[in-house]
Amino acid sequence: MEKRAPVAAPLAYDGPLRSRLDALRELVGLSRTRLDGRTLAEAGRVLDEAAARRRLSGQHTVVAIAGATGSGKSQLFNALAGVPISETGVRRPTTAAPIACSWSDGAAGLIDRLGIPGRLRRRPLQSAEDEAQLRGLVLVDLPDHDSAAVQHREHVDRILALVDAVIWVVDPEKYADAVLHERYLRPMAGHAEVTFVVLNQVDRLPGEAADQVLDDLRRLLDEDGIALGEYGEPGATVMSLSALTGEGIGELREVLGHFVAERGAAARRISADVHATAVRLYPVYANRRQAGLTEEAREEFADRLADAVGATAAGEAAERAWRRNANRACGTPWLRLWRWYQDRREPPTGRLSVRTWTDEEVTARQRVEQAVRTVAEQASGGLPAPWAQAVREAAVRGSQGLCEALDELAVRAGAPVGRPPRPGWWPAAVLAQASMTILQVVGGLWLLGQVVGVMSPNLGVPVLLMVIGIVGGPGVDWACRLAASGPARRYGADAERRLREAAAGCGRARVLDPVASELLRYREVRGQFLRVTGIEVPAG
Amino acid sequence: MVTLDVRPQLLDALSALRDRVAAARFPLPLTGAPRARANRDELLAQLDDYLVPRLREPEAPLLAVIGGSTGAGKSTLVNSLVGRRVSEAGVLRPTTRTPVLVCHPEDHHWFSGMRVLPDLTRVWMPRQDADDDPLLPDEDDTRVLRIETADTLPRGLALLDAPDIDSLVARNRALAAELMCAADIWVMVTTAARYADAVPWHLLRTAKEQDATLVTVLDRVPHQVVSEVSRQFGALLAKAGLGGVPRFTVPELPESAWGGGLLPATAVAPLRTWLAQQAQDPAARHRTMARTAYGALDSLKSRMPELAGAAAAQYAAALRLTAAVEGAYDSEYTRLRGRLQAGAVLAGGALKRWRSYPLDCSAGELLDALVESLAALLLCAVTAADERIDETWRREPAAGVPGLTDRDPALESAEHRIGMAVRRWRRVLEEYAEDEVRALEKSVAPDPEAVAALVATALLGGRRARSAGEGLAERIGAHGALRLRDKGGRLLTDYIDKALDGERERRLAPLDALDVHPEPQAELIAALSVLQKER
Repeated sequence: MEKRAPVAAPLAYDGPLRSRLDALRELVGLSRTRLDGRTLAEAGRVLDEAAARRRLSGQHTVVAIAGATGSGKSQLFNALAGVPISETGVRRPTTAAPIACSWSDGAAGLIDRLGIPGRLRRRPLQSAEDEAQLRGLVLVDLPDHDSAAVQHREHVDRILALVDAVIWVVDPEKYADAVLHERYLRPMAGHAEVTFVVLNQVDRLPGEAADQVLDDLRRLLDEDGIALGEYGEPGATVMSLSALTGEGIGELREVLGHFVAERGAAARRISADVHATAVRLYPVYANRRQAGLTEEAREEFADRLADAVGATAAGEAAERAWRRNANRACGTPWLRLWRWYQDRREPPTGRLSVRTWTDEEVTARQRVEQAVRTVAEQASGGLPAPWAQAVREAAVRGSQGLCEALDELAVRAGAPVGRPPRPGWWPAAVLAQASMTILQVVGGLWLLGQVVGVMSPNLGVPVLLMVIGIVGGPGVDWACRLAASGPARRYGADAERRLREAAAGCGRARVLDPVASELLRYREVRGQFLRVTGIEVPAG
Repeated sequence: MVTLDVRPQLLDALSALRDRVAAARFPLPLTGAPRARANRDELLAQLDDYLVPRLREPEAPLLAVIGGSTGAGKSTLVNSLVGRRVSEAGVLRPTTRTPVLVCHPEDHHWFSGMRVLPDLTRVWMPRQDADDDPLLPDEDDTRVLRIETADTLPRGLALLDAPDIDSLVARNRALAAELMCAADIWVMVTTAARYADAVPWHLLRTAKEQDATLVTVLDRVPHQVVSEVSRQFGALLAKAGLGGVPRFTVPELPESAWGGGLLPATAVAPLRTWLAQQAQDPAARHRTMARTAYGALDSLKSRMPELAGAAAAQYAAALRLTAAVEGAYDSEYTRLRGRLQAGAVLAGGALKRWRSYPLDCSAGELLDALVESLAALLLCAVTAADERIDETWRREPAAGVPGLTDRDPALESAEHRIGMAVRRWRRVLEEYAEDEVRALEKSVAPDPEAVAALVATALLGGRRARSAGEGLAERIGAHGALRLRDKGGRLLTDYIDKALDGERERRLAPLDALDVHPEPQAELIAALSVLQKER
C-alpha cells in the first residue's frame, strides 16, 4: 500500500507563520551564548518539529484520540473507521500501543514520524461517501494517560507533541479528573483551535443529565483557559456523543470532515506551539521597564570617575596655586619680607619639608570599582537575568585596566609641571608695585634728608609721596588680587575639565561602549522575540 | 490477640511527639520542602484526628471513611448503606464538597465534640433541611463537617463520605487525604472504568504502607462483565501485595447511576454486614482497631526520620546561606584591610588635597577628603560583598524565600550608615587631637585640626603618607605622635569593624528571622525514640 503511494505535496506555511518561525530560529541562534541549553531546548524542538512537519504531506491531517482509561477512545476510533480496528474491552487499560488509520494514501511519512510500526497501520472500511468526507484524515488511537502503566503515559506525551489535532474523549464519570485538566488541558490551552473535546457514553446518562454534564464540562474547560469554539469564534469544539449507540457520531464525522478539508490544522498547531514557546520564554526576554543607559547614568558615571581621579581637588589646587603665585608676584615687598622671616623663625609650624611624589595608584580604586558597579546596575536594571548578567560582565571586563589607564592619564592630563604660566600684566603690576615702593623710599629719604638738614625743609611733597606709596602698595596688591581671581578660576577650571574629560573619555571607551553594545544586542534579540510573538515591532 | 493496652506514658510520649511535629517548619524552598510540609501536615492530621483520640478512647465508635475517585459513587454507596439520602449524589463532578459523617444517634456525642477532626467546623443539619441546604455555610472560608444520624446504622460504627481524592479542587484533595488519615477502616471505592487509574493506586499503596485496615469496593460494574472485571481487579491487587484485602463488588444498576437513587439493600448487603461485624464483634473490632492504630504507630518509624531528614536539610541549607554571607564579608574585610594598609584611601581627590597641603589646602579640607574617601572604600567593600552573596545565592534554591534576595533598595541607607560611622570617627579623632594639643606645654600650640588631619593622613595613607607622620612628630613630639597614632588606629579598626559587622548583621537578619535551627531534627528523632521505648 505504501509502495504505490504518490508523493503528496508537502505542507506550506503562510507568510506570518513563516516569519515567526524564522524569527524563532534567529532568536535561538542569537541567544545560544547567553542562555543555557535547557531553556532553549523546547524552542529548538518546536523548530525541528515544524521543519519535519513541513517536509511531509500537507494533504493530510493527523488527529489523535486521547483520553482516560475506559472513556471509550477505541470505541470512538472504531466507530469513525467503521470497522473494529482497535481492540476494546473491559479489561483496563486496554490499548497499550498507538494505532493509526489513514483515510487516503501518501501519509506513510506522517505515520513514520509518529513511530507507529507497519503492523499497527490500518485502513478504514471503504465507502465512497466516507472516502469523500474524511479524505486526508489520519486518525491515531492512543493509549490512556491516567492508568498506573507509566509507559502508556510516555506514548501519549510523545505523540501528542507530534500530531496536528487532538480529540479528547471524556466520559460522565471522569470528565472532571484532575490529571486530565491539570496535566494536559491547561498546558495545551493555547492549542484550543486544534482541540476537540467529546463527551462519550451519553447513553449512560438519563435525559437532561447529559446536557447538564456537557455544560459543566464547558465550564471546566473555560476555567482551564481553553477558548470554546462557540458562535463561530475560533476555539475548541465540544460535543457529546455515544460511540456505543452511534448517537452524535455523524455530527463529529461532519465536523472532522470540514476540519480536515480546510487543511489548516498543521499550521495552526505549529503556530500554537510557537506561541506557547514564546509565552514560556517570556521571562527570559521581556524587560520589566525601559532598560538602557540613560544620559543621567552616563553623566553619573563620568562624575564618579572624575571623583576617582580627584578632578575637583586638582582644579582647586591649581586655582589656588595660580592665585598664590600671583599674590607673591604682586604683593608688597614688606609682606614678602615678613613671610620669609616667619618661615625662618618657626620651621615646625610652617611648611612641611619638601615631599617627593611617587606617582603610582593615583586613582582611587574603590571609587572606580563602585562607579563601574553602579553603572552596570543601572544599565542592567529591568533586564531579564541572563542579559543583565551579560551587561554586568561586559562592564566588569571593560573595567579591567581602567584604573591603570586612569593613573597614567592623571599624570599626563593633570597639573602641568613647573610653575603656572605668567600672564602679560604681571610685569606691569610688578613695576607698579616697585614704583610704589620706590615712592615710599624716596619720600622717606627725602624726609630723612630734611631731618638731617641736608635738604631744604619741605614737608608737603615727601609726605605726599610716602602716603601715595604706603596707600598705593596695598592698593596695587588689592587690585592685582581682584584681577587675578578671574584667570585663577579659569586656570583651575581648565585643569579640572581636562582631567574630567580625559577620565570620562577613558571610561566611555572602556566601559560604556561595551555596555551599550551589549544592550544593543539585547534589543536586537528582543526585537526577534517580539516577531516570534507576532507583534509588529514599531520601526526605530 | 492484640489488645489496646494504652499506658499513660505512651500517650504522653505521643503528645510530645505531636508537639514536635507541629513545631517543625520548612521555610526554605528546597526541592523536598513542599513534600516535607505536606508530610508534616498529613502526619499532624493523623495524630490529631486519629491516633491520639483513638488511643485515648478505644471504646469510641469505629470510623469508616469512604474514599475514592471522583464519580466512583461514594455518596450513593453511603446513602445505600444508611438506607436514606444523607449525602448528595449527582451527575456533576465533583459532587461531594462537604464531607458528611453518619452515625447512630447514640454515638452522636463522640463526634459532635472536637475529639476527632478538630479543625473541621461541625454543622448540624436537621433532617428536613438536608435536601435543600440553605443554611450550609459558604465552604470557601471554613472547612466544615456535616454530621448526620441514622438509627439504621449499627452502634459503634460511623461512616464518613469524603470528597474525591483526585478532585480538580485542590482543597478537596487535601481534605480527602486528611480524612483518610482519620479512619479506622479505609474503604476504597473504585469502578469498572477506573480500577487501573494511577491515583487510587497511590492511595492503596499508602494504606498498605501504614498497614491500615483496608476494604475495597468495586462499584458500578456492569453485570455482563462482573466476573471478568472482578478477576482483573483481584489480580492487580494481588500483584500489589494486597491480595488479602476484603473485596466487595457492587453492580451497576439503573438506580446507581444518575439522580442519586438508593441501591437496593441486597446490592450492598455484604459490605454492610462486614462493616457491622467489625463494629459489633468485640474480637473483630479489636483486631481492626489495633491493626490500624499500630500500623499508624509503626509508620511513624519511617515518617519521622523523613521529617527529621527534611529538617536537617533545611538547617544545612540555612547554614550554606549563612556561610555565603560570612565568607563574602570575611574576604571583603581582608581585602579592605589590605587596601587600608596600602593607603588606598589616600588616592584620587584625597591625594590631590594632601599634595597641595598646606599651601593650597586647609586641614579641614584634607580631613573632609580623607573621610569621604574612607566612606567610599567601606561602601565599595559592602557592595562587593553583597554582590558576591547575590552571586552565590542565585545558585542556591533555598535563597528563593521572599524577602531574602529581593531586599528593599537599602544601598543608599548603607551609604548613609557608613557615612555616619566615618564622620563619627572623625569627630572622635579630632577630640583626641585636641586633648593631645592641650596637654602640650609649648608656647605656640599647633592647630588641633592640622594635627587631626596629619594623624588621619598618617593612618589612612599607608606608605605614601610617611611625611605626614614626620610632620606630626615635629609638631607634637615623637612620643605624642606615637600615642595619638596608636589611639587613632585602634579607633579606626573599631569603627570599621562595627560598620561592616552591622551591614553583615543586616544581611543575615531575614535569614535569622526564618528561625531555622538544628534542634528540630534531633527533637523529632528523640520524640520518636521515647515513643518506641514506651510501646
